[in-house]
Amino acid sequence: MSTVTDMTIEEEAPAVSAAGAPARLAARTRNLRKVYGSTVAVDHVDLDVPVGAVLGMLGPNGSGKTTTIRMLLGLVLPTAGSVELLGHKMPDGAGWALPEVGALVEGPGFHPFLSGRENLLRVAAAEPRLASKDIPRAVGQALERVGLTAAANRRYRGYSLGMKQRLGLASALLVPRKFVVLDEPTNGLDPAGTREVRAVIADLHKAGTTVLVSSHLLAEVEATCTHVAVLHKGSVVAQGELTELLEAGDSGLLVSTPDVTVAVNALRDNRIPAREAPDGVHVDLAATTAPEVVATLVRAGVAVHEARRQRTGLEEVFARLTEAADKGNGLSDVDTFEEKS
Amino acid sequence: MTLALDAPIVTEQRTKAPVVRLLRSELRFMIRRPRTLVAFGVLAVAPIIAAVAMSLATTAVNNGQISTDRQLASIASIVAGNGMILPVFVLMLSMVMLLPMLSSMWSADALAGETQTGALRGLLLAPVSRVRVLAVKAFGVAVVTTLAVVTLTVFGILAGLTILGGDGLLTMSGTTLPMGESLGRVALMAALVTIQVWAVAAVALAVSAATEHPLVVMASTLGGIIIFTILNNIPALDWLHPWLLTDGWDSLADVIRDPMPTDGITDGLLRAVCYIVIGYSLALARMSTKDG
Repeated sequence: MSTVTDMTIEEEAPAVSAAGAPARLAARTRNLRKVYGSTVAVDHVDLDVPVGAVLGMLGPNGSGKTTTIRMLLGLVLPTAGSVELLGHKMPDGAGWALPEVGALVEGPGFHPFLSGRENLLRVAAAEPRLASKDIPRAVGQALERVGLTAAANRRYRGYSLGMKQRLGLASALLVPRKFVVLDEPTNGLDPAGTREVRAVIADLHKAGTTVLVSSHLLAEVEATCTHVAVLHKGSVVAQGELTELLEAGDSGLLVSTPDVTVAVNALRDNRIPAREAPDGVHVDLAATTAPEVVATLVRAGVAVHEARRQRTGLEEVFARLTEAADKGNGLSDVDTFEEKS
Repeated sequence: MTLALDAPIVTEQRTKAPVVRLLRSELRFMIRRPRTLVAFGVLAVAPIIAAVAMSLATTAVNNGQISTDRQLASIASIVAGNGMILPVFVLMLSMVMLLPMLSSMWSADALAGETQTGALRGLLLAPVSRVRVLAVKAFGVAVVTTLAVVTLTVFGILAGLTILGGDGLLTMSGTTLPMGESLGRVALMAALVTIQVWAVAAVALAVSAATEHPLVVMASTLGGIIIFTILNNIPALDWLHPWLLTDGWDSLADVIRDPMPTDGITDGLLRAVCYIVIGYSLALARMSTKDG
C-alpha cells in the first residue's frame, strides 16, 4: 500500500505553513448547523480538509454528508456556524472560491433533450475560468477523460446511470481545479466504472488537487482516501488520517505456518505474546516489531509461509464509532483520532 | 480514462463568466428546447386557423348569431375583407389564455424546472451569482416571449392579408387607416401585448423561484389569471379592478379605434410595469435564499 508515502506527505504539511494553521486547509467548517423545520440535519460539524488530501466523508444515508457538502459549496445557507472554502468565507466568497472548485453534488443535473456534449457546453459557458475559444476543447478533453467521447453526441435521455454519473464527473473536471468535491461519485457505476473513478481520484491526488469524496461504501473510502471523516446522525464522530484511524484499533501480525505449536512456543520463549489463530499464529506487536518476530521464528526453524500486518478494517472502526455515538458518548471519540500536531 | 490532457486549458483569472456568453447560452438552450419549438409551431398556425375560421364565421355574424362577448363580437363583425384586423384579433384572443400559458411555461422551466433537474445547481456552482442567474433567466424568458408575440403578429398579418384580403385597417370607429398607419397600429398592439405578457412572466418567475415543481408555477399563474378575470367581471368589486392586471387587457382593443383613446392603454401599461417590478423583486428576494 502507498499509505506510508501518503503519511510522510501529510506530516510535512504542517511545517510548510506553520505560521498560519488555516492556510493548509482547503476547506474548514466550524460549528456548522442546519435545521430544516424541526429536523436537525447537521449539527456541530467541525470539518477540516487538509490541502492535498483525499478526504472520504463516510456515513450512512441521511447522516448529513450531502447537507454538509451543500453548505460547504454555498448552495445552502447554514442555520449557524461558518464555512471557509479555499480561504474564502462562504457563501459570500463564492465568486472567488468556486471557480477553483469542481463539484458533483446530489447526482448529475443535466437536460434530457440535449446531448452529453451540448450539456457540457452549457455548463462550460458559465465557467468563469474558461476562455470562450477554449470551451470546445475543454469539453472534448473532459469527455475523453471520463470515457464518454463515443456517446458525446447522444441525447442525455438515453444515457445509462453510469454514463450520467460520468458526465457529472466530466463537468466537475472541465477546468483544472484546486479542490474537487464528489458526492457519492460511484453511485450507479459498474465495477469497471468504479475503478475508473478511483483512477481519476488517484490522478487528481497525484496532481496535488484536494479531493473530498462522500460515500456510504466503506471499501470505497478505504481504497481511495488518505483522510476520513465519519458522520453519524448529523455530527462528525471521528476524523483524521485513514492509517491513524485504522491503526488505532488492535494491531498484530498474522503468521501463516504449518508448525503452529512450535511457532507459539518459540515466540513465548522469547517473551513475545502469541496465540493460535484459525489460519496460523496471531502475534501481538505491542512490544516488538514484525521483522523481529519473523527472525525469531526463522531461528527456531519454523516455516513461515506468509506474515502480514493485521489491521482493523474500516468497517469495524466505523461500527465501533457509530455504536459509541449511539450510546451518547460520540463526541468524546472526536479526540481519539485527532491528528498529531 | 486516465488519459493525460493534451494541452493545458488556458484559464482566465476572473470570478464571473462573460455575461454575453451566458445570455447567448441561455437563449440557444431555450430556443432549442422541443416544447419551445412546438409552441412556436402553434403560434404560427393559430393565426392561419383564425383567418380561415373568421372567413367562414363572417356569415354567421351577419345572420345575427353574435357571440355573447361584446369585445370579440364587435371585432369579428368588422373582419370581412379587413385582413389587417386579424393580427389584432389574434393577439386579443391569445392574451386570454395562449400567451399567459406559454409565458408561465417558460418561466416555470427557467427556475423551477432547472431546480428539478439539478441544472440550476450546476450554474450556481460554476459559479453564477444568484442575482445573475435570475437576470439571465429573466432575459431568456423576455426574449422568447417577445419572439412569441412577434411570430403571432407576423403570421397574423400574412394570414390576414392573404386569406381575408384588404389593403388597410378598418377601425371600430368606422374609418379606414392607410396601410402604413395600419402596420404602425398593429406594431403598437404587439408591443403592448408583449409588455402585458412580460408582466405575467415576471409573476410566474417569482413563483418559479419559490418552488421546484414547474406545474405549480403554471397552475398558480393561470389560476390567478382566471380568478382576476372573474373578479374583474363582478361590478360590486369595482374598487378592486384597478389593482388587477387583467383589467388593462380589454382596453388593448382601443388600438383599433380612430382616434385612438390612450387612457385605458396607459393605465394598462403602468399596471403591467408595476407587476413586472413586483414580480422580479419577489423573485430576487426568494432567489437569494433559495437552496441550490
